[in-house]
Amino acid sequence: MREIVTIQVGDFANYIGSHFWNFQDELLGLVEEPHGDPIFKNSSLDMDVLYRAGETQQGLLTYSPRLISIGFKGSLGSLSSSGSLFDNISPYDTTDIVTWTGNVSRCVAEPHKKNLFLQSLCEEDQPKSALYANDPDKQKSSPHNQIQDKDQVECLESGVKFWTDFSKVQYHPRSLYELCGSWTDVQKFDNYGIGKDVLSAGLQIEEMSERLRFFVEECDHIQGIQFIIDDSGGFSSVAAEYLENIADEYANTPVLLYAARDPGAYSFPVSQKESITRVLHDAISFSRLSSLCKLMVPVGLPSLSRSKLSSVLHVDDQKLFHSSAVYAASIHSISIPFRMELPGPTATSAYVSGAVDVGEIIHILAGQARQNMVTILDTAMPAPSLTDEHSQGSIHRNLHPLTPEVEEDDDDLHAVESLIIHGALHSGHHRASVSQVKDSIHASYLGGSQKPMFAHLSIARCPLPIPLPFPSIFGSSVGPHGELSGNQSEGARSRGSLEIDSIPMAARLRSSKAVMPLIEKRLGNLRKYGTARGAPGAELLRSWGFAKDEIEDMGEFLSRLLMVFDSHRDTSSDSD
Amino acid sequence: MSLRVLNPNAEVLNKSAALHMNINAAKGLQDVLKTNLGPKGTIKMLVGGAGDIKLTKDGNTLLKEMQIQNPTAIMIARTAVAQDDTSGDGTTSTVLFIGELMKQSERYIDEGMHPRVLVDGFEIAKRATLEFLEKFKTPVMMGEMPDKEILKMIARTTLRTKLYEALADQLTDIVVNAVLCIHKPDEPIDLFMVEIMHMRHKFDVDTRLVEGLVLDHGSRHPDMKRRAENWFFYSNAEQREKMVAAERHQVDERVKKIIELKNKVCAENDSNFIVINQKGIDPPSLDLLARAGIIALRRAKRRNMERLVLACGGEAVNSVEDLTEECLGWAGLVQEHVLGEEKYTFVENVKNPHSCTILIKGPNDHTIAQIKDAVRDGLRSVKNTIEDEAVVMGAGAFEVAARQHLVNNVKKTVQGRAQLGVEAFADALLVVPKTLAENSGLDTQDVIIALTGEHDRGNIVGLNHHTGEPIDPQMEGIFDNYSVKRQIINSGPVIASQLLLVDEVIRAGRNMRKPS
Repeated sequence: MREIVTIQVGDFANYIGSHFWNFQDELLGLVEEPHGDPIFKNSSLDMDVLYRAGETQQGLLTYSPRLISIGFKGSLGSLSSSGSLFDNISPYDTTDIVTWTGNVSRCVAEPHKKNLFLQSLCEEDQPKSALYANDPDKQKSSPHNQIQDKDQVECLESGVKFWTDFSKVQYHPRSLYELCGSWTDVQKFDNYGIGKDVLSAGLQIEEMSERLRFFVEECDHIQGIQFIIDDSGGFSSVAAEYLENIADEYANTPVLLYAARDPGAYSFPVSQKESITRVLHDAISFSRLSSLCKLMVPVGLPSLSRSKLSSVLHVDDQKLFHSSAVYAASIHSISIPFRMELPGPTATSAYVSGAVDVGEIIHILAGQARQNMVTILDTAMPAPSLTDEHSQGSIHRNLHPLTPEVEEDDDDLHAVESLIIHGALHSGHHRASVSQVKDSIHASYLGGSQKPMFAHLSIARCPLPIPLPFPSIFGSSVGPHGELSGNQSEGARSRGSLEIDSIPMAARLRSSKAVMPLIEKRLGNLRKYGTARGAPGAELLRSWGFAKDEIEDMGEFLSRLLMVFDSHRDTSSDSD
Repeated sequence: MSLRVLNPNAEVLNKSAALHMNINAAKGLQDVLKTNLGPKGTIKMLVGGAGDIKLTKDGNTLLKEMQIQNPTAIMIARTAVAQDDTSGDGTTSTVLFIGELMKQSERYIDEGMHPRVLVDGFEIAKRATLEFLEKFKTPVMMGEMPDKEILKMIARTTLRTKLYEALADQLTDIVVNAVLCIHKPDEPIDLFMVEIMHMRHKFDVDTRLVEGLVLDHGSRHPDMKRRAENWFFYSNAEQREKMVAAERHQVDERVKKIIELKNKVCAENDSNFIVINQKGIDPPSLDLLARAGIIALRRAKRRNMERLVLACGGEAVNSVEDLTEECLGWAGLVQEHVLGEEKYTFVENVKNPHSCTILIKGPNDHTIAQIKDAVRDGLRSVKNTIEDEAVVMGAGAFEVAARQHLVNNVKKTVQGRAQLGVEAFADALLVVPKTLAENSGLDTQDVIIALTGEHDRGNIVGLNHHTGEPIDPQMEGIFDNYSVKRQIINSGPVIASQLLLVDEVIRAGRNMRKPS
């Protein structure tokens, strides 16, 4: 078994992670469902890759994500940082203070109210409902089930304040870590320098590394670390520090880094100073993070509602709850090949094909030809069915980038890509078999005008399940199994988890020169505001603790990232 | 006003309002931390929005837990936390001292005095106090073997302000022994060589010193032994997790080398063999080792590799080629302890340890966290003493003595109104004995009069927090760290002066008079 450890740093990363783990939890639940869809029962996906089995001190068996989530103190809302599994504290009892015999004063913060969704989760856990477990009718009519699914969905639509508000997963007590002692509000925690100050004491980063070691020590063969970071603010320096430690300690473990940012990070800056701070933050953060991982995937469009995905998805850009769901679904799809279960090394399976591990996918994308390690994430959500070519276009034409600032039309002849399709429909709502998908994709590669130099294809039959706390972002043309009917009725309300059970997904990691503008912009800004003579941001960078030559090194690093495209262009023209 | 033209949203507080904002913030922070000070202080139980509990009597922890918004308060808090980072204690005293300096200044400023004059007085008083501290401190000779008694006194003074007496006294010995264990003459003390490990044990508050090491992981193979005596150690830092078939062979070769060595050294006697690796060990290798009767631990902390060598001898090797009998360390007893999913490996009975572990047991996380903080502070105080080669009499004795020195001797030598600055500084020093008295439920006036009276008579006394009577700290064994005191005297007036000299506060954007 090849384990993956997931790390989430920052608020938006935790929003994405929360959705991501909800998908996993839903998959786990569907396997156990007695009358469930057999496609989930035979998914051939090994959940142990992401999850760990353990037990509490009381001897209860647990199955929890192999995850480290880092956020601000207070960003956990109503969830206790020691997780929900090992809960045995009585907060109002001062008599159990065994370390002090003198006076005690209590400062109680106002408790965060659990929303309807979390309340219903709590009720499910109550042992009372076990009484009705043998009798499903009674269970429905019992007073404990009064909270209707519809109300829950509505309450999530109207108010999600914390990423924990819609999380149905039970976390291990070592998973959730809160940074404290920064004394800044979240709005001001917006640049690289501030994050650096928070970690200066050193004990916090040590604790973070300790927790990671706990999860890694259990792994027999760790295949890689999946790292999601909210890189729009101070958390990118927290993550950079963390990654530095990881690179040091686990040198042979590949890190797949998703640098995500929420739409709010693109809001119009109020002053020139702020805009300089922001572009410099982007440049520094990008160059630091990309130098510390094996493959970097920047995700996060300024607006999903105005992107090409908006034809079938109705995303409210104001809500992190909405936008994070799209990114989480794509990251979930990318992670499918990492955990495909094959009966033997050469055997073929009717359910999955094209298993790779994190190291291999990094090698495919960044290890050969021109070693570009900044890749583009494209997604088709939901993926069109194989026979709908005429009305909807092929899966390929429906893949739209989630990476910002990339070239629209990709005419790179040396592109390398890894495509993952899972749960694809053949026609109507019949699921396509693995070989049907394979044939169809091969046909579209052959027929298409642009072909990548190298493509890896992974296929799974198991679609993306839509858990209850998934936002209602689907257009009215999406059917209960994610089929696209084409008859878009205007004005109809968007659909969510109540109407839709699962959707087919396609996602692609693409290493192509379409990513150049993103790097060029950061390099340009770094030179213009940071290293040029009399640059307006030089003072700012100094206050973030970067010496001039460090900045120049970063500039050099970025231009090396760009050089791989140029050098290859030259050699290829020679060979032509 | 010109700012208004530039930015109509900017808000400007004029001189007196700005000053009072600063003074109020400093006093506010002082009020929060005041009850913490001393062995009669109040422990604070913080319950978060999700029911998380944090117990603390430590100013540093409390400040970090608080969501401070006021810019002045943040400035003071940063200074106080920096105090803890450099010297390990004195956070509460720093905040109190700054608050009191501001409070004393307020009186004079309200009477129309210019802050500049006060600040000049502060500067004079600060220098005089530091000079006085040099004379006042009690030198401690640290020869080959430091004086254990004085170290115990200083650790006890610190710990008794954080934990109840019996527990504090128990920890005192542990902390002092731990530092002495890792102390080598003429070398700086690296407190990281003392591992602090915790176990969550129901109904059990117990902390002990393990002369050796406690690792927070165990073997990952069901057939490996759980307990045995007489161990040989081999620790290495190499990578042992290659998977590809061609490399499989190589890994097996390495494992075989280890087994060969084991058979060589353990052949005649009933010794056992253990491998501790900093990187991973894959299941096939674990299997081979288990069959050879070797215990293997993987993914050891980098620091534990250092500690292990200090505790057991031998050395960490990077590749099996360097492996010889000389690289092996030795320990008398190794045993594994399992608590739920947490595993601990105890390495004990080592020959001459230069590294040790403080094992904290507590019934719940917040108790453990609090004891851990206290142990860290205790270790720091012992380390400071060894490095300072001096201590300062505690229980408020130094503060009262310094105040009397300033008022009786220094003030006369100062020209003009800066005298008032010296006086304000001198009175502010009294905040420590005053707060100690207040927290013990004593009358502050009585106490201060009794203490200053004794000092004027030439006796150096501190406060007995039980009776309110003056006591001799030397007799009672109440000592504070010299470096902590010096740091407080140094940093307090700097921040206070900066805050006093602010004459306009400008903020573009949100309303700062809004009640928070």
